[in-house]
Amino acid sequence: MAETTQLELVTPARVMVSKAAEMVVVPGTEGLFGVLPRHSALLASLQRGVVEVYEAGKVIDRIMIDGGLADVTPEGVTILAERAVDLSVTSSQELKERAQNAGDAEAEFLNLAAEAL
Amino acid sequence: MPNLKDLKTRINSVSSTQKITSAMKMVAAAKLRRAQEAAESGRPYAARMRSVIASLAAKADKNSASPLLVGREDVKTHLLVMISADKGLCGGFNGSIARLARQKINRLESEGKKVQVYVVGRKAADSLGSELAGKTFARIEGVQGGVIDYGNAADIAEKIISGFDDGSFDSVSMVYNQFVNAISQKVTHTSLIPAEVDASDADSADEGSFYDYEPEEAEIMGALLPRNLSTQLFSALLESSAAELAARMTAMDNATRNAGDMIDRLTLVYNRTRQANITKELIEIISGAEAL
Repeated sequence: MAETTQLELVTPARVMVSKAAEMVVVPGTEGLFGVLPRHSALLASLQRGVVEVYEAGKVIDRIMIDGGLADVTPEGVTILAERAVDLSVTSSQELKERAQNAGDAEAEFLNLAAEAL
Repeated sequence: MPNLKDLKTRINSVSSTQKITSAMKMVAAAKLRRAQEAAESGRPYAARMRSVIASLAAKADKNSASPLLVGREDVKTHLLVMISADKGLCGGFNGSIARLARQKINRLESEGKKVQVYVVGRKAADSLGSELAGKTFARIEGVQGGVIDYGNAADIAEKIISGFDDGSFDSVSMVYNQFVNAISQKVTHTSLIPAEVDASDADSADEGSFYDYEPEEAEIMGALLPRNLSTQLFSALLESSAAELAARMTAMDNATRNAGDMIDRLTLVYNRTRQANITKELIEIISGAEAL
């Protein structure tokens, strides 16, 4: 089994993702960067974008986040995001429905997420 | 001797009170489960945020770091964020918040500092009453009860930061009830500005002293510190509303039990009185018959 890095994606409401991954690609404010196992310690701020989780060379999970912070250590990466949507389990229709009942900022994010599907 | 009709009325009124308290207890219990889940699942985010802040604060240079992190040296005015419930009937919940707030206010004032209070939730402010006259920085109600929105916490944080920036106050702390379990709450006082760093967080921060930053440290701080403030407020709101429901559940449970005891006592008196009346009538009849 290949070496893995532990991904944790946490929002104020809950721990959204907690799993081992081969590589995680994160939307940093200065550009996308990939986190592999044994990455050097890094604290990066993130912009709105999609976090991609790789397993066996393929993307297995895509999670849209609305900016946040990534705390990278050699063992894993912890992403703190105020809002996040798991694109692999929600449909664009569902997101649009949620957007209608949400506040302005939240609705904007959800609509963008629906487009990114 | 109390008359039977009055007793009957008392018993009826106590038993309808009991119905209300037991309904309130059940409502609180049902809501508590959701609130407790929310409070518990909100903890990891707040905890991780604290440890990141701790690792930043541990290395921060006192002179160049953002005042949001290390605070201002000369504290003239202090802002106290007081989080209580909007509704009563929850035992000592609001009272203990008001008591701690009063203590803190008095202590700060005896140190010669001015105090402003950010009132979140109505009840504790009501019981402090005129003590808060001229000290209320802002007041917000109706954020608790139901689902707590992160946006509310962000609004409060924004207001605090703009007040801090224009110098209305130089340090900020909050008092709130922390949810421990269904039967106990802990009244907690936490410093928000300067950021509170506890020993365990600082320890774990030591290992990660060789961080790279992207972008620059200062920029990350600028984005992170306001976010940290709203996170801490959000988690305090979650804790507080779970604690409120737990307190209400316990208080209403006690009230229901007390009402039950009272009904038992009243029923006893009622039966005795009824028996006494019957006996009295019998004696009257018998002595009347004997007199013939």
